[in-house]
Amino acid sequence: MRRRDFVKTLMAASVTAASAVAQKPAAPPVLPHKATPAPGPVPWERGLMELKPLPITPLTADAFAQTDTQFFNPTETATLRRLCELFQPAYKHHPGAIDAGTPQFLDFLTGISPEDQQQIYRSGLARLESDAQQQFSKSFASLDPSQADKIIRPGLSTWMNDHPPAEPFEHFIATVQVDIRTATENSHAWADAAKKAGEGTPNLDLYWYPVDPDLRRQVSSGAHSDQVS
Amino acid sequence: MPEEKVDVLIIGSGHSGGMAAKILTEKGINCLMLNAGPVADTHKDTEVKPAYALPYRGFKQPGQLPHVFQSNEFNANTWVDEREVPYTYEPGQSYNWVRVRLFGGRSLFWSRQSFRLSDYEFKGKSHDGYGDDWPISLADVAPYYSRVEGIFRVSGRPYGIPQYPDGNFVPDNSPWTGCMQRFVDAGKAKGVTVCKARSSMGVDGLASSVNLLLPDAFATGKLRAIPNVVVRSLTADPNTGLINRAHFVDRISRREMSVQARVVVLACGTLETTRLLLNSGIANSSGVVGHYLMDQIYGAGITCSVPEARDGKSTPQLMGGGALIPRFRNINSKASNFLRGYAVNVFSSGGGVDPRNFAEYGDALNKKLEGYHGSGFYCGIMGEVLGRRENHVSIDKTVSDAWDIPVLHIDTKYTDNEFNMARDMVDTCTAVAEAAGFEILAKNYDPNPPGYSIHELGTCRMGDDPKTSVLNKWNQSHDHKNLWIVDASSFVSSGWQNPTMTILALSMRASEKLADEMRQGNV
Repeated sequence: MRRRDFVKTLMAASVTAASAVAQKPAAPPVLPHKATPAPGPVPWERGLMELKPLPITPLTADAFAQTDTQFFNPTETATLRRLCELFQPAYKHHPGAIDAGTPQFLDFLTGISPEDQQQIYRSGLARLESDAQQQFSKSFASLDPSQADKIIRPGLSTWMNDHPPAEPFEHFIATVQVDIRTATENSHAWADAAKKAGEGTPNLDLYWYPVDPDLRRQVSSGAHSDQVS
Repeated sequence: MPEEKVDVLIIGSGHSGGMAAKILTEKGINCLMLNAGPVADTHKDTEVKPAYALPYRGFKQPGQLPHVFQSNEFNANTWVDEREVPYTYEPGQSYNWVRVRLFGGRSLFWSRQSFRLSDYEFKGKSHDGYGDDWPISLADVAPYYSRVEGIFRVSGRPYGIPQYPDGNFVPDNSPWTGCMQRFVDAGKAKGVTVCKARSSMGVDGLASSVNLLLPDAFATGKLRAIPNVVVRSLTADPNTGLINRAHFVDRISRREMSVQARVVVLACGTLETTRLLLNSGIANSSGVVGHYLMDQIYGAGITCSVPEARDGKSTPQLMGGGALIPRFRNINSKASNFLRGYAVNVFSSGGGVDPRNFAEYGDALNKKLEGYHGSGFYCGIMGEVLGRRENHVSIDKTVSDAWDIPVLHIDTKYTDNEFNMARDMVDTCTAVAEAAGFEILAKNYDPNPPGYSIHELGTCRMGDDPKTSVLNKWNQSHDHKNLWIVDASSFVSSGWQNPTMTILALSMRASEKLADEMRQGNV
């Protein structure tokens, strides 16, 4: 049996809880729900079923718009921007991190991240700035590549998936490097450049929409996620 | 509508529940299946999208699914959200509980690795003195393994190795690629046997309850199913001791309901089954429910590069393919600092090598990635976690889920046995890979947190003595003869093997026994 046929069979064989079993005797009776009357003589949804789909290809805002930065302070922003230039410069036909709007995107992402993730970034960026001032008496953002390398290289390490280095500076460098690369390679600009170069759309995958979502989960999504006794 | 008493109520729709439904309905028994989540329709619920079109560019939504390392923004909606169904754990003892409540459960998403347990697992205590033997042996389960392997179309090659039992395989006659042959030869010289892995081919690439088991059950006309209902508790008749009613809540409306059943089969997945028993206060005269939680250690391993495949010279003849090193420690000799053993997943790839394998950045990193493209070779551990009574779960009455059902508290940790095993694996694989001429790019000695393997096992172990076990050797409750538990909570030891084939075989075996008992009027 093909999968689609199976799903149809399953839907046909599935029954609602109410039709299969009785309610608890103590449960209050459920009153029939009255339909809300339309405000005028014409039913609100008339014609919608006959509507032909619009000839629209939805665009993502990144194709036209910049992300406003709100989280990092000016020094942090400048440091992150310099890291983006160094870690992911334009290469062959691929855009660099700056062209992909990566610093602004990471500002957004970090700003909505849990506090421990924010702290990794804040501490790491502060360490870069502090080392730059100590070693070269200027800000990290204004270091030339060889000066910046003297500060970055002690934090470089190899590591395996799910096991970033434990030492805080190495951990930051590992984290920010992966984040800069991911945000750049998953950007609209990167896909646009691939298209212009005659390549297929990169980083395509099967996206799952919420399956029969529970509305109450949406409203309670601010609940604590990490319950530790 | 008059209340109907169903013959068999099956709670859960994954591999174990699907197998129970197939066996029981094919024997003419009417079954009702309850599932906590909805039915997914991939044609309606999925779409191929580029990462840039997702809200977070392929990053997970921050704060979502912190314990599901396998999740990403594409698949985030398939996993249970712990904000909706929380659990608690001891400080510093994080646990990765990875759950799926879609109809079909975790059988929708699994690695397809298909192994039998051997008597080194079923009779582990007899071999090394640790823990307990199962009340059954490989000979008891072998006929069921064979039938399961037929249904799931397990591809494999026989080796005649007792710790890697052969089975009813679709023959795997594929040749080794060049890099794999070198690894096989290097392993042989060091006394490490590298074998072909074994994998369920299923049908059209899917090897799930929803395409291999449940269609047969529905075809009998004997199975009905209710999605979107969360079972809260089971109650027992105080006079007979039999389970007589399941109480559940509609996932969307929160309406409380209940159903009567002659027999209840639990197939909720190890920890949800145990949570249900503990919340119900049943089946626990032994006091063992919730104890002996096990899984398998994953995460330790090495990443290598095959030098001859670099700089554009990778070919399908040289690179690609996978292998498996079955357990080899503590079989004919004794390891110095750990009991039992581990297997190794081995695979190579003609694709890109991950940037984290190079301590470089910028253009230098880009040049490395280009040069090393197509040369990646990887080894990962699958190690046995010992069954310890102190690794246990209980109910945390201070926290409830979205349906006001008290949640599970998980108290488990790895010990030196697991850490030493992981270290031995990394060092052994490094030695074999170097002997094969490969460059080691990265190593990791640390296992992922408990639970990561998605192979939670035990907590309702089987045994002959009702004082020390929850189930008898047929997966039937010692305390309630009409309660049968067919998921992996019955396991006595974990082994290194992906447990799916064993879960399926035990569910098949238990369901046939149950059908016999019902026919004879014993249940």
